[in-house]
Amino acid sequence: MKRIYGRFSPEQIRVLFLMLLIVLVVVIFSIQIDDYLTANFFNRISTSVAIIAVLAIAQTLVFLTRNFDLSLGSIVGVTAYIIGQQLTRIPNMHPVVTVIFAIGLGMLMGTINGVLIAYGRVPSIIITISTLAIYRSFLVEYSHAIPITTNNLPRWVVELNKISLLTIGGLELRVLFLIMIVIVVIFQLVLSYLRFGRRLYAIGSNPVAAKVAGFPDRNIVFMAFLLSGALGGLAGFMYLVRFGNIMVLAGQGLEFASIAAVVVGGVSNMGGSGTAIGALLGSVMIDLLENSLYRTMAVSEFWRGAILGMLILLAVAIDHVFIGRLRKIWARAGFLMTQSEEDPEKAEVSSHVE
Amino acid sequence: MNKRQNNNPILELENVYKSYNGVKALTDVHFDLHPGEVHALVGENGAGKSTLVKIIMGVIQTDAGSINLDGEPVKISNPQVAQDLGIAAIYQEPMVFPDLNVAENIFISHAQRGSIVKWSKMFRDAEEILGKLDVKLNVRMPARGLTVAAQQAVEIAKAISLNVRILIMDEPTSSLSAHEVEQLFKLIRALRNQGVAILFIGHRLEEVLEISDRVSVFRDGCWISTKPRDEITIDGVIRDMVGREFSEFFSKTKTERGDLLLSVRNLYKENTFHDINFDVYRGEVLVFAGLIGSHRTDVGLALFGVEPADSGEIMLEGNSYRIKSPEQALKLGIAYATEDRRHLGLTMPMSICSNISLPLLRDYLNKLGLIKRIEEEKTAEVFRKRLDIRASSVNISVENLSGGNQQKVMISKWLNTDPKLLILDEPTRGIDVGTKAEVHKMINDLTGRGIAVILISSDLPEVLAMSDRILVMREGKQMGIFEQKKAEQELIMAAAMGQNNIKQGVAL
Repeated sequence: MKRIYGRFSPEQIRVLFLMLLIVLVVVIFSIQIDDYLTANFFNRISTSVAIIAVLAIAQTLVFLTRNFDLSLGSIVGVTAYIIGQQLTRIPNMHPVVTVIFAIGLGMLMGTINGVLIAYGRVPSIIITISTLAIYRSFLVEYSHAIPITTNNLPRWVVELNKISLLTIGGLELRVLFLIMIVIVVIFQLVLSYLRFGRRLYAIGSNPVAAKVAGFPDRNIVFMAFLLSGALGGLAGFMYLVRFGNIMVLAGQGLEFASIAAVVVGGVSNMGGSGTAIGALLGSVMIDLLENSLYRTMAVSEFWRGAILGMLILLAVAIDHVFIGRLRKIWARAGFLMTQSEEDPEKAEVSSHVE
Repeated sequence: MNKRQNNNPILELENVYKSYNGVKALTDVHFDLHPGEVHALVGENGAGKSTLVKIIMGVIQTDAGSINLDGEPVKISNPQVAQDLGIAAIYQEPMVFPDLNVAENIFISHAQRGSIVKWSKMFRDAEEILGKLDVKLNVRMPARGLTVAAQQAVEIAKAISLNVRILIMDEPTSSLSAHEVEQLFKLIRALRNQGVAILFIGHRLEEVLEISDRVSVFRDGCWISTKPRDEITIDGVIRDMVGREFSEFFSKTKTERGDLLLSVRNLYKENTFHDINFDVYRGEVLVFAGLIGSHRTDVGLALFGVEPADSGEIMLEGNSYRIKSPEQALKLGIAYATEDRRHLGLTMPMSICSNISLPLLRDYLNKLGLIKRIEEEKTAEVFRKRLDIRASSVNISVENLSGGNQQKVMISKWLNTDPKLLILDEPTRGIDVGTKAEVHKMINDLTGRGIAVILISSDLPEVLAMSDRILVMREGKQMGIFEQKKAEQELIMAAAMGQNNIKQGVAL
């Protein structure tokens, strides 16, 4: 028992549990559905997971500070449309410039959120629900309801989604999936090895303490929203690459999917705990379930929202019972470990509440 | 006075004024702090101690006056500036980050450690600092679940790692057990001997006298006195604090013990408490004494049905009940005033009268189901007079009241339910001497009316003065019940600390 305590934290056990659950879901569906585990299915899911996972990372950054970003879906829509429009006008725009342009657009929208939330001290739920509507309305007005179509886009954009960097027996490693992996790795490192990352946890863990701790807590919350916007912009570019046709409602509901992904992935809505890997696994879980359930024909597409909703509820319920229990056991184990090593007088100072 | 103390103050506040929305919090205050001294600051609630701390920490700004550090005027515009100047504070409720581990908690504010976290070096450094303090903690454990004492040790380690020259401790002992207070004082003395200037705010005067080199008294936002340790007495300090002579703190007026009200037999709750047996008679005060972690509060919560017991018998007026919810307990005539006023006891933004009527709101509804505000106010007025709640109106929200007055509102709320048994959990913690005496007077008043009181208290003088009988607990176990006459501080302490050689008191 002592070994488990030393090696894994309750949060890590939760991630392992989620991995197991994903495998279980795949096994169950492959029994239920003929030809379930095809390369084609994997390839399709890999690109749709990529977008949700990037947004889930964005959502994780603000979730860690006890905030929300409800405007992500609109940020994706606005970026995808404007980038698509510019590519239609200037077909020879360099791909790198295009991506930077997309990230910049997202950053701009994230900056608006961040300034109002971090420095204006308005709760994020109020600000981002407003900007969710404002960014979307801007898009409706700006586009005059004229969609971007695949036919007018430069060929590289349309083909980018199909390009496989590595193919193993039909399984393709597509560009969007690779972008996602890079983002997940970067932010996993940011969250566990950068001072900035640790302070995100600190702020969510105890906002009152963060105010008096003597580090720039507001700048850090601002940065979280700035990065969330930037990742939203990147996801907007990925959205354009994946779909090609962009309507004014593009990306609607993705903010909801990203929240579902992080909650399922174990990022606490009370801030302070969660990882990029968890957010990725959460994205995989919800996307896998959605796509698989459509294929059983038992669930219609109209149930999409309900499935996400139920997953959120389930994840929260499990966390409430499961993580709470584990943390208690761990705290007690920590207490036993320290006490057995030292003389009892000193152990009193180090003791944990049971 | 401490020999190490030199003559130049490290920190000096002159002619400081501060008011909130026109209410004066500090008026023409002077305060200074020398390196290598423990300067205690005492005063009733509302005396302006917390305001002073906030000003020094840069959380709020002065309206007028100057702050000098090493003789140079400084402007402390936010907590980060305070930190850069070498000032740190440890609050009553430690400000730790529960999700971060111990080492991270120590180093989270450090700017000069670079933006990349070097984990193994950080763990080593944390262990080194804690080692210097002679505190053993697993630096890799999350701070979640640490005791208050351990959290404070982490905060002290953090302050030391930042090379603080001024350490402010705002009521650090209020949730510590006697043993933990001793440990803390050892740390404070070690820091003082290293030349750190320590501002110590305390409510327990015995502790203040034990630890401090100088004592300053504030009253109603004004500076009253500053005297060296040798020239002061508890009586003198109290006189300065309340502005009047205080012959007797508090004592229980003897009331006739009435009929048997409550009998508890073999009460048990898994991992919490076991074999709890006691009787409570009308008009008596049964005190639950014990250290932190003795699970006294859990017995109270079980009687009130918040966290019901797993097994055992609860007999009220001869009938046996299984109390499963607070609603049921209230119907049976049991009320419970919690220790945690802010989170569990009161609805802070709501008015005094709305808070008082809350448990019995149904009685204040007219036929349409609307609240009869006039009735609510009438009730609140009755309690305002009876308990002397100091507020301009019963319609102001309770968050604007001082701690002591909040306590009175909470007790009013439960008295309004007309209880037979009132459980008071640490009713005088964190409130000033004057209000404390009023709370004790109120307890006397209640028992005089035949109400039985279970008083959960960590304050030994209070335990001895206010009790008829004392039930001592340790780690969920009932150590004995002592008659007040036979009880002494040492005996209670010995039982609470788990000494086996004490004679068991009169059982039941």
